[in-house]
Amino acid sequence: MRRRFGAVQAVAGVDLELLPGEIHALVGENGAGKSTLAAIAYGAVRPDEGTVQAEGPVGLVHQHFKLIERLRVWENVLLNREPRRGLTIDVPAARERVRKLGEAYGLAVDPDAVVETLPVGIKQRVELLRELDREPTVLLLDEPTAALAPGEIAAFFGTVRGLAARGTAVLVVTHKLAEVIAYADRVTVMRAGQIVARHAVAQTDAGAIAREMVGGDVPALTARGTTAPAPLLAARNLSAGSGTGALVDAGFTVGAGEIVGVAGVEGNGQSALADALAGVLPFAGELSFAGEPLRPDDAPAARLRRGIRVIPQDRRNEALVLDWSVRDNVVLGRQRTLAPSEYGPAARSVIERFDVRPPDPDAAVGALSGGNQQKVVVGRALAGEPKLVVAYQPTRGIDIGAAALVQSRLIEARNAGVGVLLISFELDEIFALADRVLVIAQGRFVGEFARDAIDRGRIGALMVGQA
Amino acid sequence: MSPLAAGVLAVLGLTLVKATPLIYAALGGVLSERAGVVNIGLEGILIAGAFTAVAVSGATGSPFLGALAGVVAGALLAALLAYAATKLAVDQIVAGTGLNIAALAAAAYGLVLVFHQPGASHEVPALGKSGETWLIVLAFVAAAVLHFVLTRTPWGLRVRACGEDPSAAESAGIDALRTRFTAVVIGGAIAALGGVYLSLAELDLYSDGMTAGRGFIALAAVIFGRWTPLGATGAALFFGFFAALQYSLQRAGVPSELMQALPYLAALVALAGLAGRARAPAADGVPYVRQ
Amino acid sequence: MNGVNRLNGFARTRAARDILIAVVVVFGVGSIAMLLAHVSPAVGFGALFDGAFGTRAEVAETLVQTTNLLFPALGIAVAFRAGLFNIGAEGQLILGGFAAGWLGAQFPLPGYLAIPLVLLAGALAGGVWGAIPGFLRARFGANEVIATLMLNVVAVLLATYLVTGPLAQAGGGAQETASLPKPAQLPDLIADSRLTWAFVIALAVAGALRWLLHKTVFGYELRAAGEAPEAAKRAGIDLGRTAFVAMALSGALAGLGGATIVTGVLHRFNTGLSPGYGFIAIAVALVGNLDPLWIVVASLAFGMLQSGGIAMQAEAGVPREVVSLVTGLVIIALAGRRYVAARRST
Repeated sequence: MRRRFGAVQAVAGVDLELLPGEIHALVGENGAGKSTLAAIAYGAVRPDEGTVQAEGPVGLVHQHFKLIERLRVWENVLLNREPRRGLTIDVPAARERVRKLGEAYGLAVDPDAVVETLPVGIKQRVELLRELDREPTVLLLDEPTAALAPGEIAAFFGTVRGLAARGTAVLVVTHKLAEVIAYADRVTVMRAGQIVARHAVAQTDAGAIAREMVGGDVPALTARGTTAPAPLLAARNLSAGSGTGALVDAGFTVGAGEIVGVAGVEGNGQSALADALAGVLPFAGELSFAGEPLRPDDAPAARLRRGIRVIPQDRRNEALVLDWSVRDNVVLGRQRTLAPSEYGPAARSVIERFDVRPPDPDAAVGALSGGNQQKVVVGRALAGEPKLVVAYQPTRGIDIGAAALVQSRLIEARNAGVGVLLISFELDEIFALADRVLVIAQGRFVGEFARDAIDRGRIGALMVGQA
Repeated sequence: MSPLAAGVLAVLGLTLVKATPLIYAALGGVLSERAGVVNIGLEGILIAGAFTAVAVSGATGSPFLGALAGVVAGALLAALLAYAATKLAVDQIVAGTGLNIAALAAAAYGLVLVFHQPGASHEVPALGKSGETWLIVLAFVAAAVLHFVLTRTPWGLRVRACGEDPSAAESAGIDALRTRFTAVVIGGAIAALGGVYLSLAELDLYSDGMTAGRGFIALAAVIFGRWTPLGATGAALFFGFFAALQYSLQRAGVPSELMQALPYLAALVALAGLAGRARAPAADGVPYVRQ
Repeated sequence: MNGVNRLNGFARTRAARDILIAVVVVFGVGSIAMLLAHVSPAVGFGALFDGAFGTRAEVAETLVQTTNLLFPALGIAVAFRAGLFNIGAEGQLILGGFAAGWLGAQFPLPGYLAIPLVLLAGALAGGVWGAIPGFLRARFGANEVIATLMLNVVAVLLATYLVTGPLAQAGGGAQETASLPKPAQLPDLIADSRLTWAFVIALAVAGALRWLLHKTVFGYELRAAGEAPEAAKRAGIDLGRTAFVAMALSGALAGLGGATIVTGVLHRFNTGLSPGYGFIAIAVALVGNLDPLWIVVASLAFGMLQSGGIAMQAEAGVPREVVSLVTGLVIIALAGRRYVAARRST
C-alpha cells in the first residue's frame, strides 16, 4: 500500500507511506501540518496537488470527537449505515450490531445511552466504534489520548495494537513523545508543512524527536525564584456546576507567589472550577480571597475588581473578540478602569512583553496565529497587577516557542508574588511549572503533592479514580 | 343542549378551525428547524400559499389545482430560503425576515396584476365545507406522519443529525447541505397548506394581511412544542383555542382588539415561561460551511 | 489619517459590495416586476426617479421618507450591534407615534416644551415596547426574534384599541387622535413641504449614535456583547443588562421616529401612519452595514424608493408594492453576513 500527498500551504510536497500492521506516529508542533495531512489522507480535505492511495476504507478518529451529543450511541455509530426493515430503521438489529462490535474489540458500551451523558473516555470508545464499523484498513487517530488518563492510555493502545495485529495500518497524530516511544513502530516528524525526519522508533529517543520538531533546542523556561507563599485564596467545601462536569466539595489553597497545578483528565470538574472562580458559575461552600469571602453569586466584574483574572480554555470564543484589533482586545475586561488614552500604551506593552507578531496594535486578533492570540490573552490577564491568575490550559494548541514564553511569564508572575492556579490536562506542563500539584477526579480533589514529592504513576492512578 | 354546552362545543370546533393553519405552519417549522434551519419566513410561506391558491383557483376554476399550486408556491419560496441558508450560508433570521416582506409585497402586487384591484381578490371557487374538514384531518395526519418520519426512518435520523451537528453528519457521509435543503423545502410545502386552508377552505378569497402573523405564532408553537411534531401540534391547538376564545368573549362585550391580541400574548407568555428549559437542536439557525 | 484609511478600506470592501448587490437586486427584480405589469422598466424607473427628485417639493418628500426610515434603521442597528434581532421596530414606531399624538393633542403644552415633551413621549413608549422583549430575553432567555415579531401585531391592536376606546379623542370610532396644536408641531425646514426639523434631528441622532457606539465604554461593551458574548461575559460585561438597555434604546429610537412623523408630517396620530417603515428600515440598516453614517446614506436611497414609488404608481401604473418587494429581496441578498455571533448563553 502506498500513499502520497501533495502540496497545500499547510503541507508541502510530503510523501508518507503506511504499512499494514504497523503503528506509525506522526509528530510535529501545532501548526506543523500534521492534522492537515491526516485530513487529506482521510479525504476530508482535497490536496492542491498530489494523490492518496489506500487499499480499502480509511477511518479517522478526531481529536475533537465528531459525535452528535444528543443522539444515542447506536445512532452515532451507525449513522448513514442504519440497518433497515422496509422504510424504517431496524432498531433491535442496530443495537445488536453495536453491542457485538463492542464485544469484538473490547470496547463495551450501552448502545442506547445518549452520548452527552457519557464520560469522555467512553465517548472515545463510541468514536472508535463508529470507525471500526466501517472495517477500515487504514485508521487515522488524531491526538487520540488528549482526553485520557495515563492508565486509560495504555489500555487504548492495547486496543490499537490489537487492530494493527489484524492487519490495519494505524497512523497516530500526536505531540506526546512519550507515547510515541512507548507504543509506535515508526515515527515521522513534521515541521512547517514538511517532513524533516523518519525513524524506526527503536532507533531514536524523545529528546532527539523534540529537537527535530522544534528545529533546534527546546527553549528554556525562566528560572523559579525563591518565594514565601502567603495565604491568598482558600476554598472550603467548594461545589459548582451540575452533571458529570460538576465540582464537588473541593478544599484547597493558593498562596501569593506560588503556582498550584490542578492535574486531571478533561471533563472532571476543571471547567466548573475555572468558571466558579471567574464568577461565571455560582458556587456553594466557602471561598475566601485576600482575607475576605467571595460572594457565591458575584458577577465576573466583581472578581475582576478584586484582582482575580481567569485565562479561559477556549480563547477564540471565551476570551477574544476576533474581529477587533489587538488594542481593543487587550483592554477587554479593563474597559471601565482604563481611560481611552491608555488603550494604546496598554496594547504596546503587551505586544512588547509577549513578543506578539505582527507588533501592530491595529491588527485584527482573528488574523493572528493561535500562539499570538494566546499571548494577547495571557498578556492581558497579567497586566494591571493581578493578585490571582487562574490559567486554564494556557498553552493549548500553540507552538512550543509561544508555549515556553507563556509559561515563563507565568513563572515570572509567580516570582513577583502573584498566585497562580494552573489547570491543565498536560501533566508535563504541570510538573514543569507547579510548586504544588492537586489531583482532580470526578469533580473531587483526591490528592496533593509537593513539587519535590511528585509521583507520576501515583498521580495518574488518582486521575482515573483509583485510590 | 344547554347554552353552556353549546358554547363550549362551539369554542372547541372553532379551536380546530383556528389551529389548523397554525399546525401546518408549525409542522413546516419543526421539520426545518430539526434540520438546523430557522424558518422565520413561515409567514411569507403562508401568504404565498394563500395567494397562489386563490389566483390559480380563480384562473382554472379548480380549487384542487389551486391548492396544489399553493403548495408548490410555498415549496418554491422555501427553496429560495433554503438556497440562501445552505449554499450561501446567510443569516437565516435576516433572510427569513426579507422573505416575509417580499412575499407580502409580491402578493399585493399580484392582486393588482391578476385581479386588477388592490386589497383583496374577488371570490373564487373554494374547497368548501368538506374540503375544510379534510384539511383539518390532514393536519393531524401530517403531524403523525412527520413524527414517524423523524423518529423511525433513516432520513429522519439524518435530518436530526444535521440539526444537531452538520459537521459530524458530514463525517458520516451525509450531505448536510442537501439534507437541510430538502427538509426546508418539504417544510415549506407543508406550511403552505396552512395558507391554502386560510384562503380556500376557511374563506374563498385572498386579502392583504389575512395571515395576520400566524406564521410567527407558529414559530412560538415550534418552541413551545419543543421542536417535536406532536408537541408543536399541541401548542398550535393551545394558541388556536385562544384565537377561538376571542369570538366568544367578543360577544360578551370585551373589545375586539384586545381579544385579537390573545393568541399573541399567550404565545409570548409561553415563550418566556419555557425559555431556558426547552433546548433547540444544537445547530438550529447556525449556517453550516464546509471546511 | 488612520481613520481615513480605514474608511477607504471599508468602502472598497464589504460596504461597496453590499451596495452593489442592493442596486443589482433593486433594478433587476424591479425591472422584471414592471415587465409583468406591462410597463417598460425605463418608463417605470424614470417615473420613480422623476417622482423622487423632479421638483423641489419632491426632493423634500424624499427627505421626509429618508427621515422616517432613518430613526427605526438606527434603532435596528443598535440592537443588531448588540447581537439582538429587533424585528419589532414597526410596533415600537407605531406606539411611539400614538403616545406622541395622544399627549400632544390631549394637553395644551407650553410652547417651548411642547415639542420636546411630545418627542420624549414617543421615545419612551417605543422604548418600553422595545424593553419588553429585552426584559424577556435578559430575565428568561426568551427568543427576541419571535417576541418582537408578535409584539408588532400586538402594538397595532393596542394602538387601535386605545385610540378608538379609552383614550379616544376624535369621535365616531376614528382610528386617529385629534390634531396637534401648533406649538406641538415641528417647524418646517422647507416652506410649503412636509419636510421639518425632524430631518436635522435624525442626522444629529445618527452622529450621536456613532459617537456612542465607538467612543464610549457603553458602546464598547455593547459591541463586545454582540460580537463575542462569551468573551464579553468573562470580561465583566453584564449580558442581560446590555440586552435590556440595547433593546430599550433600539425601541426608543423607533418610537422617536414615530413621534416625528406625528408632530412633523401628519400632525396627528393615525393607526396607518407607517407603510411598514419598521420593516423597510431593516434593509436600510443592513445596506448601511449597521454603521450610523452609512445608514444615513442608505436611508436616502430607500427614501427615494418610497417617495418615487408613489409617483411611479400614479404616472406609470406600476403598483408601488414593487418597492417593498425589492426591499424584501435586498434583505435576503444582504443576509450573507454574520450579523449576530453565536447564540448567547443568557
